[in-house]
Amino acid sequence: MSLLQKPLVVQKFRDFHDYVKNNDGKIGLKQRGLDMNLNNGCNLKCEHCFTLSPQGLNTKERIPVEKVKDIGDQADELGIFEIDLQGGELLLNKEYLFDVLNALGTERFYVYLTTNGYFMTSEIATKLAELGVDRVSVSIDSMDPETHDTFRGKKGSWERAINALKLVQEEGIAPYLNITVGRYNVDSDDLRLLLEYSKDNRYTTLLNIATPGGMWRNMHEICINDEDSHHLINMRKHYKNLLRNLWDPFDRNREGVIGCNTVNRLYITPIGDVLPCPYVHIKIGNIFESSLKQISENGFRVKYFREYSEKCLAGEDTTFIKKFMAKEDTTIFAPQLIKDLFSAEEILPDDISLPVPRHYSIMY
Amino acid sequence: MDEVLESYQNAFVEAFELEDKSQLSTLKYQSIEEWDSIGHMALMAELEVQFGITIKTEDLIQFESYNQGVDILARYNVSITL
Repeated sequence: MSLLQKPLVVQKFRDFHDYVKNNDGKIGLKQRGLDMNLNNGCNLKCEHCFTLSPQGLNTKERIPVEKVKDIGDQADELGIFEIDLQGGELLLNKEYLFDVLNALGTERFYVYLTTNGYFMTSEIATKLAELGVDRVSVSIDSMDPETHDTFRGKKGSWERAINALKLVQEEGIAPYLNITVGRYNVDSDDLRLLLEYSKDNRYTTLLNIATPGGMWRNMHEICINDEDSHHLINMRKHYKNLLRNLWDPFDRNREGVIGCNTVNRLYITPIGDVLPCPYVHIKIGNIFESSLKQISENGFRVKYFREYSEKCLAGEDTTFIKKFMAKEDTTIFAPQLIKDLFSAEEILPDDISLPVPRHYSIMY
Repeated sequence: MDEVLESYQNAFVEAFELEDKSQLSTLKYQSIEEWDSIGHMALMAELEVQFGITIKTEDLIQFESYNQGVDILARYNVSITL
């Protein structure tokens, strides 16, 4: 669906654009998105899974549909314009997914699904388009099927992923090819081939930086370094379809960094805990106990989440990683708590004011 | 060339990093890779700067092609002759 067919989203996206431009190209305290892990069950066993689905962690819990509606209402009031529905693997429960999309009010958001693509069919793609899904992100690790299948723990997963992107494109949904990038592949032929494939097929490529959490807990050797980060920016100048959430999407020089999106882009788990992002497993609230606004303000009181960081805290900031992400037994379902983790000096005074979204009511 | 027309065309050239102006008349939203939602914001920002106007959201949404844009900018007393 064309973004221009969602006027409420256009207004909120414009607000985000204006805020970033007026804030020296930095994301500041502007809320942009929500990632919702609706259910952690998955059919694959990816080596790097940050939610520990391969270990069967909390696969029964789901965010209730009526709560999704409430989250959508609160997110809209905060000016949040993009929502990423993810798991686990959502297409394992497609009827529940369709109910969620119906409840969310997709006309209010740029909606996308992150999926491994294994269960995608043209019928499902058609239905997703009808329900207002704007984008489908599928992760692919290599243009060599065997490499991808081995990494994902299931033979045939590469072919299904490749096919899923084609199917959604045919339905007018924006296909995003997600690539996890770490020290191990940042300068590899695998990565280059994936980038070329994505460009040739008119997909958008989203880079996710490898983080030492979940199945890869304490594997610091996977983290990119400063040189790698600059290499990725140089690649961005060459591949105009390349994105990272950290980068300024509005910078025409393709160099700007809006900063780490912790709290600007919240992550909600199936049990309602809210984390600053999918990869920082520190709880800043629970959606069944507090409002999104309260949770966001609470999160921004932590100086690391409030202050500008040109590095991804979870994947590039080695000091942050070693200090706050190394505790054993930490998972998205057993996150660390602010009160246990940060000193008084690391919690800023309780005077956070989130930017007030412009009132938008467009008459047709 | 008429100055106003040149400013209008320059906005597209800047926003989408076009190498020349030959394809402008056929340009529509999503007809080229550069004119996606982010490119659209860039174009609107360029037009606002070029003409000193603030484009209302409802007009921003209707602005779907180079040709259509002429009618929309007329609402802001920007008169462009193609």
